Amino acid sequence: MSTQTSAPTTGQPAGAAHNPPAVGRSVVFRIKRCQGPGQASYWQDFKVKIPQNANIISCLQQIALDPVTTDGTRTVPVVWDSGCLEEVCGSCTMLINGKVRQSCSCLLDAIAPNEGDVVTLEPMSKFPVVRDLWVDRSRLFHNLARVKAWVPIDGTYNLGSGPRETPQDQETRYVLSTCMSCGCCLEACPQFNKEEKPADWDHAFIGAHAISQARLFNTHGTGRELAPQRLEVLAGRGGVNDCGNAQNCVKVCPKKIPLTESIAAIGRAVTIHKIKQFFGA
Amino acid sequence: MPGANEKRVIVVGGGLAGLAASIRVAEAGVPVDLFSVVPVKRSHSVCAQGGINACNDVARQQGYSEYEHFDETIYGGDFQADQHPVLEMANMAPRIIDLLDRMGVPFNRTSEGYRDLRLFGGSLFKRTHFAGATTGQQLLYGLDEQTRRYESEGKVTKYEFWEFLWPVVVDGKCVGIVAQDQRTMQIRSFRADAVVMATGGNGLVFGKSTQSVICTGAAAARCYQAGAWMGNPEMIQVHPTAIPGADKTRLMSESARGEGGRVWVPRNKGDARRPKDIPEGERYYFLEERYPKYKNLVPRDIATREIFSICVNDGLGVGGQRQVYLDLTHLPASTHHKLEGILEIYKKFAGEDPQFEPMRIFPSVHYSMGGLYTSFAKGSYNPAEPRTKHLSGSGAPIGSAVGQGLLPGAPANAMTNIPGLYAFGEVNFAYHGANRLGANALLSCIFDGLFCGMSVLGHVADGKGAAGVAQGEYDRVVAQEEAKVKALTDNAGKGDSASPETNPYAIAKEMGDEMTEACTVVRSEGRLKQALATLSSLKERFKRVRLKDSAIWTNQSLLYTRAVGDMLTVAEAIAKGSLERRESRGAHYREDFKERNDDAFMKTTLAKYDPATSSTSIEFVPIDATLIKPTARTYGKSEGAVSTKAAASPHN
Amino acid sequence: MQVNKQSWYERNYFLIRRLHSLSGIVPIGVFLVVHLVTNSSLVWGKWGLRSEGAGYTVADGGVAYFQKEVRWINEGVPHLWLIELTLWGAIAFHSIFGVVIAMSGKSNTARYAYQGNWRYTLQRISGYVGIFFIFYHVATLRWGWTFLVPGGTLWSHNFATSTLAAALRGGEDFTPAGVLVSLFYFVGITLLIFHFANGLWTAAITWGLTISQQAQRRWGVVCAGLGAGLMLAGWAALGAALAVSPARARELELRAAPPGTPAPAPAPAALLSR
Repeated sequence: MSTQTSAPTTGQPAGAAHNPPAVGRSVVFRIKRCQGPGQASYWQDFKVKIPQNANIISCLQQIALDPVTTDGTRTVPVVWDSGCLEEVCGSCTMLINGKVRQSCSCLLDAIAPNEGDVVTLEPMSKFPVVRDLWVDRSRLFHNLARVKAWVPIDGTYNLGSGPRETPQDQETRYVLSTCMSCGCCLEACPQFNKEEKPADWDHAFIGAHAISQARLFNTHGTGRELAPQRLEVLAGRGGVNDCGNAQNCVKVCPKKIPLTESIAAIGRAVTIHKIKQFFGA
Repeated sequence: MPGANEKRVIVVGGGLAGLAASIRVAEAGVPVDLFSVVPVKRSHSVCAQGGINACNDVARQQGYSEYEHFDETIYGGDFQADQHPVLEMANMAPRIIDLLDRMGVPFNRTSEGYRDLRLFGGSLFKRTHFAGATTGQQLLYGLDEQTRRYESEGKVTKYEFWEFLWPVVVDGKCVGIVAQDQRTMQIRSFRADAVVMATGGNGLVFGKSTQSVICTGAAAARCYQAGAWMGNPEMIQVHPTAIPGADKTRLMSESARGEGGRVWVPRNKGDARRPKDIPEGERYYFLEERYPKYKNLVPRDIATREIFSICVNDGLGVGGQRQVYLDLTHLPASTHHKLEGILEIYKKFAGEDPQFEPMRIFPSVHYSMGGLYTSFAKGSYNPAEPRTKHLSGSGAPIGSAVGQGLLPGAPANAMTNIPGLYAFGEVNFAYHGANRLGANALLSCIFDGLFCGMSVLGHVADGKGAAGVAQGEYDRVVAQEEAKVKALTDNAGKGDSASPETNPYAIAKEMGDEMTEACTVVRSEGRLKQALATLSSLKERFKRVRLKDSAIWTNQSLLYTRAVGDMLTVAEAIAKGSLERRESRGAHYREDFKERNDDAFMKTTLAKYDPATSSTSIEFVPIDATLIKPTARTYGKSEGAVSTKAAASPHN
Repeated sequence: MQVNKQSWYERNYFLIRRLHSLSGIVPIGVFLVVHLVTNSSLVWGKWGLRSEGAGYTVADGGVAYFQKEVRWINEGVPHLWLIELTLWGAIAFHSIFGVVIAMSGKSNTARYAYQGNWRYTLQRISGYVGIFFIFYHVATLRWGWTFLVPGGTLWSHNFATSTLAAALRGGEDFTPAGVLVSLFYFVGITLLIFHFANGLWTAAITWGLTISQQAQRRWGVVCAGLGAGLMLAGWAALGAALAVSPARARELELRAAPPGTPAPAPAPAALLSR
C-alpha cells in the first residue's frame, strides 16, 4: 500500500519511506446534497468504514446500503452518476475536496489515510444539478455539435479505406481523441460558467474540449473539409477568443490532453481563416 | 423517402452495436429514436482495450483469409455458434475496418502510414487493428460522432438517461417500447416499426465484473420475460487476469503475460511477507510448473481455472484471499514502457506501481457469449458437405463477397423470436459460441449494426408495422410498468429498512456472490442446484423488497431495485442453462462432466420464460454446422503433445 | 442549420476581440514602453546628456535631461494632439471592452491555485486598477484637474520634474495624502506593467504565434524579462521623482526654461489636500 499526497497517478516505488494508511479506519464524507432542480442545497455527513483499495464510488455504495448520517438520521441514498469505473467513460466526475476529478479513480488511501479524515463531495458547479451529485452535462455535448466534431463521410457503404496518415499525425490525433467529455476542463475554467437557459449556450464560451475536438477533426484528411465552418464558429462569440488563458483546463484534464496547445493552434487557424476571408481568398 | 411514410425505428442502447445500427438506419432515411441509460458516448464499449479483428492485405499475402478468420472464430467458440452468421461477419470485417478508418478512428500506423496490426489470441497471423490501448473507446467515439451528425440533421433523436422498461408486443409483433426518464421518472410509450435491442452484457448479475455499472442485463431480461428467448445464457467468459477492487474488477490485458509477466503465489500457506521479501525458492510459479510448455500463456480458460483452483481449492491465494501475483518487476524498463497503458490503470486503481510491486489479480466475469436468441437467413454458400478444419495459412477456399453467409437485408437476420424485435451486439447470442476470441467482440457489435441494420430496414419495408396499432395497446403496457413502480415505491421506508432481508443491495450482493461461486469457472450439478435454490429464495425476498427512497424525482434506488428483480431472472436462466448442459465446452466447465459431448450438446441452449410460473425452462435446439466439421479443440498442434493435451482437457 | 440573425456585435465579434488584443500592444503597449523609458531618464539622464552632463550630479542630470525630453515632446513632436487622441481612444476602447471581457469570467483561484490561474485573475484586477490609475494620472498631470491633486499643484511641461514631485508629495514636502498618491502610483505602475507583459504572453496564444507548451514557456520567459525590465524602469522613475526635492528641480528647470517663464504656483482649490 502506498500513500500518496499528490495526484494518485504518481506511483511510489516500493521501499520508499511512507506510512501505511490506517487499516479499518473510518472516514467522514461531507456531501453536498440537493433533492432536485430549484431546491436548496444542504450538507450531510456520513461515516464510512473504509474497505481495502476503496475509491470514492465504493464508499458511496456503502452509504447507499444503509444511509444514516453521523448524527443518526436515516436518510435517502445519495444520487450520483457513474459508468465504467475505469476512468474512460467520464460519468463519475465531481468535486472532491473542492477539486474536479473522476470519483472512480480517487483512492481513499491517497486522500484520506487517517482515522477521522474528512472528504467533501460536491456536484460539478458549472452544470445544473439533477439530484445530489448528478449533474446534466447536455451543454457539453451540444458544444461538440456546434463545432461539427465529426468527419463528413459519404455514407457507410464500402468505399475503401480512409486517408493514409503518418504515425506522428496518428499520435497527435489519438491523444486528442481520448477526450471522454468528462467536463473537468470546463469545471475548472473561469471563462466557462453556468448557463441556465439552453438559448444562451450558443454565445457562451464553448470550452476547451470542443476547441480541442475541432482541432482533431481539422487535422484529419477528410475532416478538414468542414474546417472553415468550424473556424467560423470558433471565431465568433463564445469561440476561442473567449479563452482567458488561465490554463486550468490542461492542469485538471485526467487524460493529459494538450488542451492549451489546441487552443493556440485553433487561435492560429482562426487568425489565418479570417485574414484569408478578409482578402477573399 | 423520409416523410413519405411514418416509419420509425427504435434503438435501445448506444454502444457500438446501437450506434452502428442507428447510423445505418438513419442513413437510409428512416428516423431513429435512440434510447440509452447514459449519454451514448459513455457506453460500456469504451472499456474495450485490445483491438478489432479483420483479415487485411498483409495477412492475406501471408496466406490468411476471411475464411480463416471465420474458421478461428468457430473453433475458438468450441463449435457452439451457428456458422453462417460467423462467416458473413468475418467476410465483412475488412470492410468494417475501412469504414471506421474513413470515420477518422485513429488506428495505429506503420511508418509508411498504413494501419498497424498486432498479434492476438487464437490466430497465427497479425489480424488485429488497434488504436493505442483504448480501441473500444476510439471506435465508440467514431460512431458517436457520426450519430451526432445525424442528430444535428434531425435524423436521430436521442433519449439519453431513458431506461427501456418493456417491449410493446401486439399480435406477436413488436411495435414499440415503454421507457422511463431516469430524471423526471416519466413513463411513456414510443411507437416503432422495429425495435433494436443493443443493450450489452449482464456482468452485474455476478456482482463484480469487468463491466460497467450499467451492465445489469435488465433490458434483455425484460424482453425475456416478455416472451423473447435466450440462447446459450450459461456461456459466460471469465477473464483470467483482472484487478480486484472494492467496487468492481478491472481488466489487466493478456499482453502483460505476453511480454513476460509471471504468475505466482507464496508456496507457504499464510505467508504474510511482502512479495519482494519472499525468496525465489518459496514462490510457486504454478502455471509454469504445471504447464512447462505454455507456462503463463496457457489458453484463457485454463489460466482462469488454475488461478481459481490455487486460491479456492488449495487456499494458496495471496494473504489467504482470492488473488495471485502477476509479476512484471523483473522486466526491463523498455518492456514497462511498452505496457504503459495498462500499467497506468493498475497504478491508478490499485495505488501501487507494477514496476516495483507485483500486481495482484484474479479471474473475473468479463463477457456474455449468450444473450437473446436470434434467427438468420442463410446466404449463398451452402456446400454439400461441411469442410474439415481449415489448414492455417492455406489461402481462401472461397471468396469473401457479401451474402455468402447471410442474405443481406433479410428481415430474419438478428431478429428474436418476436418479429420486429432485434438483438444486436453483446446481447445477441450469435457469433461467439462457447468462448469468444479476443478482439472479436467489437467486430460482432459493429457487424450487427451495419449488416443486420439492413435487415431492420427490410423488416420495416415489409410489414405493416405500428401504423394501425391502437393507442390502448401502448397505454396498457405503460399502466403495467406504472403498477410495478407503485408496488415498489409503496414499500419504500416500510418495516426495518436496515434489515438485509429486504434490502435491495443486500439481495443483489447475495445473488452476485452466489452466481460467482456456482456459475463461473467451475460448475457442478450439486452446486448449481444449490444456487437455483438460493435464487428462488432471493426471488421470494425480492417480493418484499424495501426501497430506500420514495422520491418521484431521479429515484436511483427505484431504478436499481427494479433492475435487481430482472437480474434475478437472468441469473436463473444462466444457472439453469449451466445445470442442463451436462458436458464441458468452452467457458462452460462442469467438473462432473469434463468432456465435450457433441452428440447430446452441440446444440444451442434455448431458455424460455413462463410468466405463469415465473420460471425458466431449458431446451436444446440444433446448430447450423453445415460449413465446418467439428473437431477436437486442440490449440497448439505445433507446440507438442503436452500442451495440446492440456488445452484439450483441462482436468488432465 | 439555424437562421443567421446575428447582431452587429456578433458579426464583428472577431474583429472587436482582436482589436482589443492588438490595441493593448499598439499603440498602448508601445507608448507604455516609451513613456517608462523617458520617465526613467530621471535616473540615467546625466549620461543621456553626454558631454553636457559632466557638470551635473546624477540627480540634477536626470532632472535636466528629463526636462529636455518633455519639452521636446510637448513642443517638438508634430500633431501631438492627434497622437494623444489616438492613444486616449485606444485606452478607452481597451478599457471598456476589457471590462466586458473581465465580467464574462469568474475567478476561481481559491479552488485552483495554479500560477496561470493567478495570472488570469491578476490580469483582470490589474485591468480594473489600471483604468482608475491611468484616468487619475492623465486627469491630474495632463488635463489639469488640480482639484484631484493634494496640494493642488498644476503640472507644467516647463517644470516637469518639480511639478510632478510636488504632485506626488502633495506639496513641497510629503503630506499623508501625498504618500497615498505615491503608493497609488507604485501599485498602478506595477500592475499596468504586469498587465502589459502578461497580455503580451496571452496575445501570442490568442493570435496563434506560440502553440507548443515549450514555445509558450519560452515566450513566457521573454515576456517576464521584458516585464522585469519595465518594472525596473517604472520603479526607478517613481523612486527618482520621489527623491528629488521640488525646490531643487525648479531651480534647474528655471535655468533651462525660455526667458520669462514664470515659476509654477500652487493652484487654489485642491480637493485632496485636506
